[in-house]
Amino acid sequence: MSVYRRSIWVFHLNTGSCNACDIEILDVLTPYHDVERFGIKLVASPRHADALLLTGPITKESLPKVIDALLAVPEPKLVIAIGSCTCGGGIWYDTYSTLGGLNELYRVLKEEYGIPEPPTVKVPGCPPRPEAIIYGVALALGIVKQKYSTTKVRVE
Amino acid sequence: MSRLSWIKKALEVGVVTRKYPFEHAEVPEGSRGLPEFDSSKCIGCSACANVCTPDAIRVVDDLNEGVRRVEYFVGRCIFCGRCAEVCPVSAIRITKEFELAYKDEVRFIIELKLVKCSNCGKPFTTTRHLNHVLGKVGEGLPELMTLCPDCRRKSTVNSFITPVGGTV
Repeated sequence: MSVYRRSIWVFHLNTGSCNACDIEILDVLTPYHDVERFGIKLVASPRHADALLLTGPITKESLPKVIDALLAVPEPKLVIAIGSCTCGGGIWYDTYSTLGGLNELYRVLKEEYGIPEPPTVKVPGCPPRPEAIIYGVALALGIVKQKYSTTKVRVE
Repeated sequence: MSRLSWIKKALEVGVVTRKYPFEHAEVPEGSRGLPEFDSSKCIGCSACANVCTPDAIRVVDDLNEGVRRVEYFVGRCIFCGRCAEVCPVSAIRITKEFELAYKDEVRFIIELKLVKCSNCGKPFTTTRHLNHVLGKVGEGLPELMTLCPDCRRKSTVNSFITPVGGTV
């Protein structure tokens, strides 16, 4: 992701979250964690943004708005999913009124609009610690490497 | 407050910003992070999957391969720690680990061998689970323990019935 080596401007979009993740995002912007040292800035329009910051399990009501915002972000775009709800659906993964996570959104985008999956960094947590969000951003910028990978153990 | 006194206060307080990804982050005591699965202890009883609110832990029996698959998906976990609370053999430990952001999906999978019913041959539990229960029960019913629940029920009923004028 070398294109993101410079400052990334983010547009924050709540897709039906409980606001805990949104409060943690505000924490990240405070002087204590100060994510602006990476050049990260919240902007008011997705047209000015490089990255889309999604929180919440993507309710069916918010789906058209999410798609509109995602299409409005100019290429090359990046999606940062904050919280377990966005990453894998969280406790709402099979609820009737939500899509249940980002994978389902990408499936809809591919099938209905023919849009390929944008590069995505997912930050699980309920809500994630501010440090965890910074770690996710650092992963997107290429400062750190992904710490865990899938492991499979077979025992007797 | 005049401007000069603000500068004095700022100098007193100093720099508060953490250098986080470039330095170690302090995590408070009692913070719940990634659950750690000890595959050498797990018996595959699926107590953790029963209590898991978002079904981040799933237990599926693969009858073709004859294994029980305990699968943990980090992207759905809400880090409530109930799995560690209910685990009868303390195979799950809640760590303080929070650096879990990922690009490729992270799953921790433990595969445990299933044991087959000595009567009908249907796999019904894992070898480790059976040994764990045998250790709790002790002496007494070892021949019933190798039967699946259905066969066990039939065998218990058959032991009570005395056939009169024919077979049961």
